[in-house]
Order: sequence, then C-alpha cells, then structure tokens
Amino acid sequence: MNGIIIGQFIPGDGFFYKVDPRSKIAGIFFLMIAVFLLKDIYQVLGALLLTFGLLIIGKISFIKVLKGLKPIFILLIFTFVFQILINRQGNILVDTNLNISLINIGLVIILFVIWRFLAKFKKFNFLLFLGFLFGSIFIFIYSSFSFDYNLTSFNLQIYEKGIEMSIFVVIRLLIIITLSTILTLTTKPTDLTQGLESLLSPLKKIGFNSEDFALIISISLRYIPTIFDEANKIMQAQASRGADFSEGKLKEKLKQVISLLIPMFIIAFMRSEELADAMESRNFVPGKARTRIHELNYSYRDVLVTAFTVVFFAVALLFRLNVLGY
Amino acid sequence: MSYIEVKGLDYSYTKNKKVLKNIDFSINKGDWVAVLGHNGSGKSTLAKAMVGLIEPSIGSIKIDGLELNQDTVYDIRRKIGIVFQNPDNQFVGVTVKDDIAFGMENLAVPREEMLKRIDFFAKKVQMEKYLDKEPSQLSGGQKQRVAIAGILAMQTDIIIFDEATSMLDPFSREDLMKYIKKLHEEGLTIIMITHDINEALLADKMLILKSGEVFAYDDSHSLMKDKDVFRNSYLELPVALEIANSLTEKKYDSVKEKLWEYVSMK
Repeated sequence: MNGIIIGQFIPGDGFFYKVDPRSKIAGIFFLMIAVFLLKDIYQVLGALLLTFGLLIIGKISFIKVLKGLKPIFILLIFTFVFQILINRQGNILVDTNLNISLINIGLVIILFVIWRFLAKFKKFNFLLFLGFLFGSIFIFIYSSFSFDYNLTSFNLQIYEKGIEMSIFVVIRLLIIITLSTILTLTTKPTDLTQGLESLLSPLKKIGFNSEDFALIISISLRYIPTIFDEANKIMQAQASRGADFSEGKLKEKLKQVISLLIPMFIIAFMRSEELADAMESRNFVPGKARTRIHELNYSYRDVLVTAFTVVFFAVALLFRLNVLGY
Repeated sequence: MSYIEVKGLDYSYTKNKKVLKNIDFSINKGDWVAVLGHNGSGKSTLAKAMVGLIEPSIGSIKIDGLELNQDTVYDIRRKIGIVFQNPDNQFVGVTVKDDIAFGMENLAVPREEMLKRIDFFAKKVQMEKYLDKEPSQLSGGQKQRVAIAGILAMQTDIIIFDEATSMLDPFSREDLMKYIKKLHEEGLTIIMITHDINEALLADKMLILKSGEVFAYDDSHSLMKDKDVFRNSYLELPVALEIANSLTEKKYDSVKEKLWEYVSMK
C-alpha cells in the first residue's frame, strides 16, 4: 500500500516548517497551558485572533485546519449544548416550555427523512445538518396545535452566562486544536520524534532513556505501511478461503477479525526478531552513545517563537492572577 | 594465515539436535565463496554464528586474527556485514538516507563524515536519486542495494549475503548479482549463502554443507567436474552441467530429455 500518510504532515515551506521541532513542541505545550489560564470570553477571543494570526504567518490554509476539526465536531456541539443547559447564572434570556407531542415528533421525523434524503448532495452536508438541528428546535418550541396529544413538556431556560460560557469553552477547544494542527501539519513525524527525544533527554537522570524511546517510535512509524501491506495480503488470503470481512453479524465479524489478528501477531513477532538481528549485526547496542544524521538547529525563527510563547504565557498568567485587569 | 578461520564449530538449537557439526574451513582475503546446501543444512545458522548473533557450543571463529567472543564481537562486526533474505525486515531507517546512516550512527561516525559516505556509497549502488524515499516506495532489489550501501558505509571488508536474492524477481536478482561481482572485483571478501547453483557458479569457491557438516569445499571449477558431489548433497545440477555429463557418458536419450525439459521451462 503506497502513499499512506502517517500523521498529518503536508510538505510546504511556510514559516513554521523551518522552526526547530523542539521550540515548536515546547511552544505549543506552553501556549495550551496559557489558554487554560484565561478566564473570560474576551481573553479567549483575543487568543483566537492571535491563533488565526499564527495561521496567516505560517501560510497555513484555514481549510486544512477545519479538516482537522472534523473528528471532534460532535464533541464541540455536545460541549456547546451541555454548557447552555447546565449553566444557570446571570440574566435569563429564554424561558419557554418545550412541548413534546405526537405531531411534534411526527414533524421532526419528517424533517429527519428530508435531511437524510438531501444528504446525497455532499457539498451542503454541514448546512443541512444545521438546518435539521435548528428546524427541530424550532418545531419543539413553537408548534402547538389545539388538537394535539401532549405527551410531556419541560421548561427550557437559557441564561446569559450559559451562552457566554459555552462560547468560551468552544473557542478554547478551537484554539487548542488549531495549535496542535499547526504542529502536526508542519512537522515531519521523524522531526517530531527527534524533538521529543531532545526535550525528554533530561529524564535520563531518572532512568528514562529518551533515545531508545525515539528509536522505538521511529521504527514503529517506519513499519506501519509494511504492516498494512501484510494485513491486506492476509485479508485477501482469508477472503480467498471464503472469509467475508464486510458482512455478517457482530459475532461472525469478531471471528474474522481474530483470523486476521493472529497471523498478524505471529508475523510481527517474526519480523521483529529478524529486525533485531539486522540491527545488532550493524553494531547497534542499546544505550550506547550514537551520532545522529539528522541535526536540529536553532535559528532566529526559534527565538521569535519562544519570545511569542513567553509573552503570551506571561500575559495569560497576569490575567489569571488579576494583576492585569479591566 | 587466512583471513577467516572457522575451527571445529558446533551449534545446536535444542539439546539433542546439532545444526552445525564440526565445521572447519578458512577463507582468504578477497575470496568469493558460495555456501551451498539443502534446506536445513545449517547455512543460515553458520552465517549468524559468523557475525556473532548466536554463540557456538564448541569451536572458534577467527576473523583477521581476532577470535570472536563477547569482548571482540563489536570489533568483528566492524569488519563483517550481513545482508539478510527479507529486504523489509532489515530496513531500519525511515528513509534510504537514514538507513544507510544507521550503522554509522552506531559506530559514532561524525556527521560530516557520514554525509560524505552516504553520498559516495549511495552512488556506488545507484540509489543516489532515492535518498529521501521511504521503504514502501522502493522495490525489493532497491532495498537490498540500500542494505549493501549501509554495510559498505561502515567500511567492512567482508559481506555475507544470506540468501539475499531469494525474495527478488529474476531481473532484480541478476542486477544484484552484478553488484556482488563488482564488490568482489574491488577486493571485498564475499560469502554468499544460496541454494541456487547457477548463482554459486559465479563464485571462486564453493562450500557445500550437508546436514550441518562440510561436505565439500573446493574451487568451483574442480567441484563441477565431480557430479556426484551435488547429487549426494541433495542439490540440483545446473542444466548445462547435466547435459555435459550425459554427453561424456554418451547417453544421448537423456540429453534429449534434458534439452526438452530446459526448453519447456523457459
């Protein structure tokens, strides 16, 4: 299987591509902590603007970052709704009764069917989803018919602080994900491991060998495509003997996965034995001092990144301690 | 004194069954020796013992006057490198460049020197255009060439090929044999483990193993005259040799049969 991309790295030549992985990792780590130090919505909005600024400086397209957001989209919506419903501080903004009745439910089901039907037009998937969401909320709040059978109803209250907090939390998540996307988009997996190795090297004093750790990670990364290839071959071999990986009940599927996993494990062990032989015969001794072909070099860019991080962190800390206030 | 000296080597994986029995041979500097044998004759075990991956029960291995033991194994591995059968399972680096560098990194070669040697030896195996490629983008033959470059970069002067061509397609196999021949011409000592007689014929000498014992060890040319050696060690004779033998014995029917067999195989 060629061209499997491990991680999200996309080759390019923006500002952040040339920053040393060590300063990138450390910088983003401290920026994330700083974002958690911020206390109110204006501060996180400022932080969000700064993050967008970073994207513009790094010439990273917003679309790529949005793609990175996709997997956690549900989480974002859930957090948003949860915060709105839970928080009961500040002025009350909305106070209505939600009626759940036969006609309501019927209408929502019809809306759902329309949504799924239109979902074929993949381009507007997101808009359609929003349409469905707000459509159903609208139906629950405003539809009331005199001849309706009301099943149950409850009181929906939305407070000022609730909306503020939900926006606050969502923005904070957005910033953190955007920051980590900047790191993974612009750093090769190998550089990432080497940066981690270098940053973790002080841990040698407590018996953690970061060099071995980095070697383990880089070898695992190197073998992911090989193992995928192997899995494909085994799946084809099993399929040619009548195994069907796509259909069947859960129990059957589980059985088929086992018929894939056991040979995979055996092959992986044999591989690792041969690899160990190959490494040893090339004079590899765990824990022995080695030189490195890859070199990490600091440049003026790293000074900039570090300075930005320090200032951002300091300001966030001062906000937190109420030294800077308004 | 010979460059490589193996004396009275015994090895057994389990207590009762010996894989290697009283192996004795010596190899001169610059020789190209093919180690032949049927499946399970102990070829690969011998190769592993020579690079110190397994410890023989009895016997000694001397390379360049240095006896192989726990203290000298790292020095000996600087002199002797091994290319294994499976191209995928010996590719340590994430890219070609990283893989060639791996052995040198272990020897703590300075970075400047490493870069020079990578360029030089990548050119030697004609992989200089692939330095930043990942193993999944390379063919089996290319991976084996990278393995050779990685060993050469450690400045070893003995290379063992442990059935290094057996997982390759015929074209890459022929290609790799050309590189081995070139290395031999440049003065490297080459030990080539194989069960393919046609490959072994290219070597100066043949060491034939049978059930863990040295069955024959001689010049390729003198061995070829003795057809019984191959037959008795469960090896198949090359077609040309079989036909030549039949002709000298005037068995013309059998010549005809062999020729038909050969033509239908091609």
